[in-house]
Amino acid sequence: MTKLLDRPLKAFTIYSLVILLISIPVYVFVVDQIWVSELDENNWLTLEHTKKRLTSRAFTADDLEKINQIWGELQPGVSITKMDEPKLLQDSVYEVVRPNEYDSDDGEDRFRGLKSHLLINGESYQITIETNVEEADETLLAVAVVTFFFFVILIIGFILLNRRIAADSWRPFYQILSSLQSFDLTKDSVLHLPKTDIQEFQQLTQSLEQLVNKNISTYQQQKSFIENASHELQTPIALLKSKLDLLIQKKGLTPEIAQILSSIEAPLSRLTRINKNLLLLAKVENHQYTDQASLSVNQLIGSSLVLFEDYIYDKNLSVEHASEATLSVISNSFLLETLIHNLLSNAIRHTAVKGKVIIRLEGKTLIIANSGTHPLDEKQLFERFSALSNEKVSSGLGLAIIKEISKKYNWQVGYRFENGYHTLSVIF
Amino acid sequence: MKILIIEDETELAQDMVKYLTNEQFRCEWVSDHKSAMEKIYAYSYDCILLDLMLPGGDGLSILKELKDHNKLDGVIIISAKNSTEDKIRGLKLGADDYLAKPFHLAELAARIESVIRRKQFDNNNIITQNELSIDIYAKTLAVHGLPTSLTKKEFDLLLFFIGNKNRVLSKGALAEHLSGDFADMFDNHDFVYAHVKNLKKKLRESDYGGYIKTMYGTGYKWEI
Repeated sequence: MTKLLDRPLKAFTIYSLVILLISIPVYVFVVDQIWVSELDENNWLTLEHTKKRLTSRAFTADDLEKINQIWGELQPGVSITKMDEPKLLQDSVYEVVRPNEYDSDDGEDRFRGLKSHLLINGESYQITIETNVEEADETLLAVAVVTFFFFVILIIGFILLNRRIAADSWRPFYQILSSLQSFDLTKDSVLHLPKTDIQEFQQLTQSLEQLVNKNISTYQQQKSFIENASHELQTPIALLKSKLDLLIQKKGLTPEIAQILSSIEAPLSRLTRINKNLLLLAKVENHQYTDQASLSVNQLIGSSLVLFEDYIYDKNLSVEHASEATLSVISNSFLLETLIHNLLSNAIRHTAVKGKVIIRLEGKTLIIANSGTHPLDEKQLFERFSALSNEKVSSGLGLAIIKEISKKYNWQVGYRFENGYHTLSVIF
Repeated sequence: MKILIIEDETELAQDMVKYLTNEQFRCEWVSDHKSAMEKIYAYSYDCILLDLMLPGGDGLSILKELKDHNKLDGVIIISAKNSTEDKIRGLKLGADDYLAKPFHLAELAARIESVIRRKQFDNNNIITQNELSIDIYAKTLAVHGLPTSLTKKEFDLLLFFIGNKNRVLSKGALAEHLSGDFADMFDNHDFVYAHVKNLKKKLRESDYGGYIKTMYGTGYKWEI
């Protein structure tokens, strides 16, 4: 994955590298041309000057020979040579490469020369003027070094500018991103997005706000729907329960009717439980349990075990309760109580007769394990109505409530199956 | 003894009246805030059953009114809200008990008994019924003057039976009374049989009147 802003940076870098690479031979060519034309002009000026002086004074052939000799010693760039055939040739320009006679390490030197002819005293002389010219490979090297230096400066500039731009004009984008990342539909009722004067970001902000607000309101509606629905169900359930209580008071019930009446109790009690749990879930989601106190987990486990002792005894379960640590947590008493009740009742319900339940408190971790035969799907386990078991009493919400309460307080809930035990753990 | 039921759900109120009314209790019923206020100003009751959500006003204001006028009526809040905040607020304001809907009528009757007992016998905490003598605070039972030891649950059961004389108590109601709100987490309430069996056995050994009757298919009854 590349960051958004690194992508143009990479492109810019490659582009500038290509352009600068192309520029190197172009610079070399241009510089060389300027050099050469400037030297040619210089050579020509020297030639004209020399010609003029040579012709204006009447030098004899011996004089010229002497001059040439002195020149050759002092100023090897200019030389006069007597031609055998007395004819005037066109001026010509040439280039020659010779080894450096003073500095053998320097290798070879390039010379730009101008050849001309002159008649003095009827004799034909050839004048050559040579000037040392920078070699093309040296120019190339120099240009390349300079170009590379500027390339580095350019890249550093790009990186710095990129950061500036990121910090400046892209800031709203990153703020929007972090707002979205930290937004939790189940917790937050408003999405706070930064104000921006960049048109695209403003449009993005608006669209996101619309989208999220729609989601928030749908979610709120759904939550209040569940709460209202279960509130509305309370009364009919209460009525059913009281009617049933009245009905069994009737004299002369036949055994058959009595049997039917008593078999209504179980589904009615399940209905009550589901409804209560739905209401509880909705209330936890709606943050309706705000009171907090420091509560002893050990104590709650103890009192829950007393509460459930009849059920444990009924199923002939052995309970191993070893709490090495004492643990107090700050939370709502009803919710912590519900969490522990649900964990325990869940373990008791799902253990076969004569099975074993292990309760352990290690540091900040509460572990409740019960014997079982095969592992359950952890993903589905904590979902509402996930129907992993087909027993008739479960509300299908017990573990969902555990998850919801844990989520509220940022406790970690986990499930493992090991050594024949379903192991649920809560890290407070 | 007089009971005032303040409940806007007609059917439920009528069921409560039907269940509770006997030679011992007389019930009156109002369904809104205004008539409830009129009743509590005009009469006094042994126990008031108060629904918190009423047309015309909050049930808690009725409770506050009662306490402000130093009325001694026992108050049991019956609420569909089942929120701990409401419960705590109600009890702080001076309610004697709180019962969340839905509830078993037997549970309601037992709670009423308990509230009235607390109100009336401030110094005398002994319930006597023929040969049985029950000390509520010491949680002891004497049959024919001889102490009979009961477990906590058996004692609770006994009080529950006495609070629901001559009424059939279902296994579910008994389980809920013994295990509290969490009885409906389980489908098997067989432990109720065991406790009732043990209680019966102990009472029989002390030669009581054999009041506990098993009602086929439905539950038990304390018949007197």
